[in-house]
Amino acid sequence: MTGLARRPSFGTATAALLVAVPLAIAVLGPLLADAVTPPDGAPYTVGDGHPLGTDRLGRDVLGLLLRGGPSALGVACCAVALGYLAGAPLGLAAASTRHRWLDELLMRPVEILLPIPSLLVISVVGVGWRGHPEAIALAVGALNVPAVARLVRAAALDAASGPVAEAMRMQGESRARVLFGYVGRAVLPVAAADAGTRVGMAVFTVAAANFLGLGLEPTSPDWGVTIAGSREALLVQPWAVGAPAALLVMFTVGLNLLSDRLLRSRR
Amino acid sequence: MARHALRRVSLAVVQLAALAILIFLLTALLPGDAAEVAFNEQASLEQVAQLRTQLGLDRPLADRFADWAGALLSGDLGTSLIGGEPVGGIVARSLATTALLACVTAVLLVPLSLVLGLVMGLREGGRLDRALSAVMLALNSVPDFVLALVAVAVFALRLGWFPSTWLDAGAADLLTRPGLLVLPVAVLLARTVCLLARQFRAGTIAALHADYVVQARRLGVPRGRLVLRHVLPNAAVPGVQELARTGDQLLGGVLIVEAVFAIPGSATALVDAVQGRDVPVVQALTLLLAAVALAFNVAADLVSHRLAPRTEVLR
Repeated sequence: MTGLARRPSFGTATAALLVAVPLAIAVLGPLLADAVTPPDGAPYTVGDGHPLGTDRLGRDVLGLLLRGGPSALGVACCAVALGYLAGAPLGLAAASTRHRWLDELLMRPVEILLPIPSLLVISVVGVGWRGHPEAIALAVGALNVPAVARLVRAAALDAASGPVAEAMRMQGESRARVLFGYVGRAVLPVAAADAGTRVGMAVFTVAAANFLGLGLEPTSPDWGVTIAGSREALLVQPWAVGAPAALLVMFTVGLNLLSDRLLRSRR
Repeated sequence: MARHALRRVSLAVVQLAALAILIFLLTALLPGDAAEVAFNEQASLEQVAQLRTQLGLDRPLADRFADWAGALLSGDLGTSLIGGEPVGGIVARSLATTALLACVTAVLLVPLSLVLGLVMGLREGGRLDRALSAVMLALNSVPDFVLALVAVAVFALRLGWFPSTWLDAGAADLLTRPGLLVLPVAVLLARTVCLLARQFRAGTIAALHADYVVQARRLGVPRGRLVLRHVLPNAAVPGVQELARTGDQLLGGVLIVEAVFAIPGSATALVDAVQGRDVPVVQALTLLLAAVALAFNVAADLVSHRLAPRTEVLR
C-alpha cells in the first residue's frame, strides 16, 4: 500500500482498470453475446468449443458472463443512485435548516431505520415480487437512504460551520448561494468516495440475494445466479463459478481502492 | 450508565416496532397476497375470494395489522400456509441451530480480532503487519458466498478435513461431530474479523502515540504492563464501535453459510419460506432475525459506551 501511495498515478490506473473490465463487460457484453455464444452443449463440459466451458444446463459460460453484467452491476448502481436521490436532499435539508425541530423531524425516522438488515428486507420484498430486478434495486436503494442522509448531513454541517461559509454569510451572500455554491460542492468529493464503497457493498448484497434465490429466476444469466447454479461442480468446472466471482471481486476491489484514493487526496 | 442503557434499549424497542410495521406493510401491500399464493395460480377466482374471506384479507389494513400485532404480542405467530403447521414450531425448531452458530461466532470474534489488531498495531509498518494488512484487504473484498464455496471445495472436497454439508446432521450431532462447525464459523468470521482487526489496529496505534503512554514509558513502566493496562483498554474502543455496525454483515453471513452448508437453521427456513411465498413464516422469521441483529447492536453499543462514555445514543 505504501509503495502505491508514492506513485499515485500507477495505483489509480490499476484501480481504474479493475473497475473498467467488469464494467465494460456489463455494458458491451449484451451486444456481443449473441455473436460469440456457441449453441448449448453437455452440462459442465470444459473446452469443446466453449472457451469457459458450460454450466449446469449446458449453457456457454462466456455467453452467460456477457449477458449477466447489467443485472449484477446495474441493479447495484441504480440502487445507490436511488439512495442518493432520496438521501442527499434529506441530509442537505436537515443540515441547512435553522429550525432544530425540522432537523429532528427529518433525521429521527431515518436513524430509527438505519440498522435494518438488508437481506431481510429483500426477503420480504421477494415474497410478492419475485424475479424483478427493479424490486431489488428499490429495496437496496431504500436501505441506503438513512446512511446517505446521515453522511451528507454530517459533511454539509462540517462545511457550513467552516470559515469559508462564515465569510460568505458575513459578506451578505444569500443562503441558497452558500448552500449550493459552496456547501454542496464541498460535500461532493465526500459523497463520491462514499458512493464508491456503497456501490461495492450493494453489488455484494444484490449478488448475495441472487445467490440465495431471493431475487432473480434461477435461469437468469446474472453473475450471482450463475455462481449459485454451478456451485456443486466447483471442482469439475471451476470457470462457471470462478469467472463471475472474479469479475465481482475485481469490481469491488477497484471501487474500494478508487474511493480510498479520493479520500486520501483530499487530506 | 443505567440511564444510557435504558435510552438505548427503548430506542431498540421503537426500532423493532417500526420494523414490524414495515414488514407487515411490505407483505400486505406487495402484489400476490396470501390467498393467491396458497393456490399457486391453479384455483378459480371464487376459490381465491373464498380463502381471502377466510383469512380475513378483505378487511381494512388497519384492522388486519391490529390483529396481527395483537397475536404477535400474545405469542401467537400464526400458521404456515404450507402444511398448516404453527409458525411457532418452525421458528423454535430452526432457531436453536442458528443461535448456536451465532454464539460460537460471537465468542470467537472479539478476542480473535483484538489479538490480531494488537499484534499488527504493535508492529506498525513491520513485515507481519504489512502481510496481515494485505491479506485482510484481499479477504474483505471477496463476497461471503464465494468464500464459502472455496472453503467447501478446498477443505471439504479436496482435503477432506471437515464435512461439507449438514444434510445428514442436526444441532444434536454437534457434540459427536464438532468438525461440522469449523467451516461455517470460519467463513462467518473471515470478513468480520478483517473489519474489526483493522479498527483495533488503528486504536492500538493511536493509543501507542498518546501522551499518557509516552509518559508511562518514560516513567519506566514495563512493556507488557504498558500494553495490557494502558494501551489495550483504549485500543478496543474503535473496534467495539465498529462491532455495533457489523450486525447486518453477520446476519447476511448467516444466511449465506446456512444455504451453502445446508444447515437446518432459521435462515434456511426463511429462504425456503420466501421461495414458497409462505407469508406468516416470512413475517415471523424476519422479525425474529431482525430482533437478534438489533440486540447485537445494542450490546455492542452498551459495551462501547462503557469503554468511552462520550458517545451519545444517537448522533
